[in-house]
Amino acid sequence: MAEMKTLIKIKPKTYAVGEIVKIDFMAMHPMESGMRKDKDTGAIIPAHYINEVNFLFNDKLLTKMITWESLSVNPVLTISLKVSGAGTLKVLAKDNKGQSVESTVAITPKG
Amino acid sequence: MRNFSICAALLSISLCGLLNADEQLSMSDSDKAMYAEMVENNPAAMDIADGEETFNRLIGEEAYAKMLGVKAKDLPKYIAGFPRFVKPAGKVVTLAQTLQMAMADRGQNVPKLESKEIVTMSAYVKSLANDQKTNIDVKANKQMKEMMALGQAVFEERRGGRGLSCNSCHSPDIVGSRLRMQPLPDLGAKETAAAGTWPAYRMTQSAMVTLDKRMQQCMKNALLAEIPLGSKEMVALEVYVTNKTKGNAIQIPGLKR
Amino acid sequence: MERRSFLKGFGTAAACAALLPRMASAADEAKKVVGPNEMSIETAIAAITGGKPLTPSSKVSLSAPEIAENGAVVPVKVTVESPMTEKSYVKAIHVFATKNNNVRCANVYLTPANGEASFGTRIKLGGTQDVLAIAEMSDGTFLSGKQNVKVTIGGCG
Ligand code: HEC
Repeated sequence: MAEMKTLIKIKPKTYAVGEIVKIDFMAMHPMESGMRKDKDTGAIIPAHYINEVNFLFNDKLLTKMITWESLSVNPVLTISLKVSGAGTLKVLAKDNKGQSVESTVAITPKG
Repeated sequence: MRNFSICAALLSISLCGLLNADEQLSMSDSDKAMYAEMVENNPAAMDIADGEETFNRLIGEEAYAKMLGVKAKDLPKYIAGFPRFVKPAGKVVTLAQTLQMAMADRGQNVPKLESKEIVTMSAYVKSLANDQKTNIDVKANKQMKEMMALGQAVFEERRGGRGLSCNSCHSPDIVGSRLRMQPLPDLGAKETAAAGTWPAYRMTQSAMVTLDKRMQQCMKNALLAEIPLGSKEMVALEVYVTNKTKGNAIQIPGLKR
Repeated sequence: MERRSFLKGFGTAAACAALLPRMASAADEAKKVVGPNEMSIETAIAAITGGKPLTPSSKVSLSAPEIAENGAVVPVKVTVESPMTEKSYVKAIHVFATKNNNVRCANVYLTPANGEASFGTRIKLGGTQDVLAIAEMSDGTFLSGKQNVKVTIGGCG
């Protein structure tokens, strides 16, 4: 399978130290429940879902998520971050088939 | 009670068999607001990012503008006028078709209209025109006039086994009625913003879908003979439907049920 | 009942109904399948709380649509009132779809650096049910909030 595509958004776009921003993490993933049947063959499509997502700010763990197949296809995960200064937000996502992806975004407070 | 098949069935393409036929429910304003908020985190944004990468790798803005005979800085406004008559094509084409042309121009293998490359690139290129008003000009030349007339004819023709036409469900006197709890959209209404919001992410399909593909889905569901992508009739339908929302701002990608 | 008159007028119900039998049987068949992570809500709650009491609290606000028009994509937002300091913070937010085959949706382990105890996502709901959020507080207590979501699946489009 091709590499998992991801996108991180910080809202609002401009923010200062001390403010709380929202982090949206999106990933392209089928999130197969393991209960769906292939329309043509009738065989059960094996479960395939993101099962762990770690958010790190400057390499320090901010939020760890264990996720399950009940999340929608192409999941979106939103958490908050209190901006303590400039740095890098890293998101590590991995699925139950062992595929993983790392994405980063710069945190650049104004003023 | 626990043996729910989560969504297995929900994710299948047609949902018609699962509805609760006699319950007529509609969403509250706060529910609608929650859904509206979802537009901001539209998974199709990833398709668009993908399309941008593909477009820059395979074509590039300069070469694309040059092929179309416009300045790169005028591209957004020009893009907001599709489908339009394009000289190098010698006919009225959709945005997606111009990408096929640009690839042919560069001696590349031309992928199909429904290919991932063309779909994501056309979404990206259309997003360059975001906030521009749809400025299709159906009177610009005789080719456009002809396509507009053909589009209207196709829209109104009863081509289905059930004697339905697009107009049966999308005519001004029927829109707003509900078909199995789904309000029939007025393709010309600001709220529907039909043409300016496709390609859109369809939540029922968990995928980004183009306008022509969306229209094919209506054909399939209403048992109308399916018009092939890229055919003259399909381009004409796109002209006709796009013209209904002329003046509306383009907002790509849309988010639809 | 505009809908009825519309359906009569155009025979579209028949057009939709043509698709009915196939879809219905596919759905029935799917119901028999048990997912790999099947877990009941009782077991899932016990696994989190370890048997400690779970207290419904207005501090946990869970928002989800009352009526979801598409069970495959239901937006859910949880916020928990908390100062989010080293002394007092929300250690985790757990989200459950109480009647799904596997009720667990996400276990979100927070830190004071989040600044605010909030989590948002979109979940699949296999039918009308309660969505439940459990907040695991740093003082070892467990608070909860829930909302019922009616899932309707409409439209032929
Ligand atoms: C049986 C009734 C029916 C027929 C016939 C029908 N449609 Fe639709 N159409 C619908 C419904 C219902 C929706 C909206 C469904 C939804 O909410 O997803 C829709 C949605 C659409 C949309 C998307 C609107 C938007 O932006 O959200 C377009 C475009 C469209 N139809 C075009 C057509 C065309 C072109 C035809 C003829 C080929 C056609 N439809 C025939 C019922 C119909």
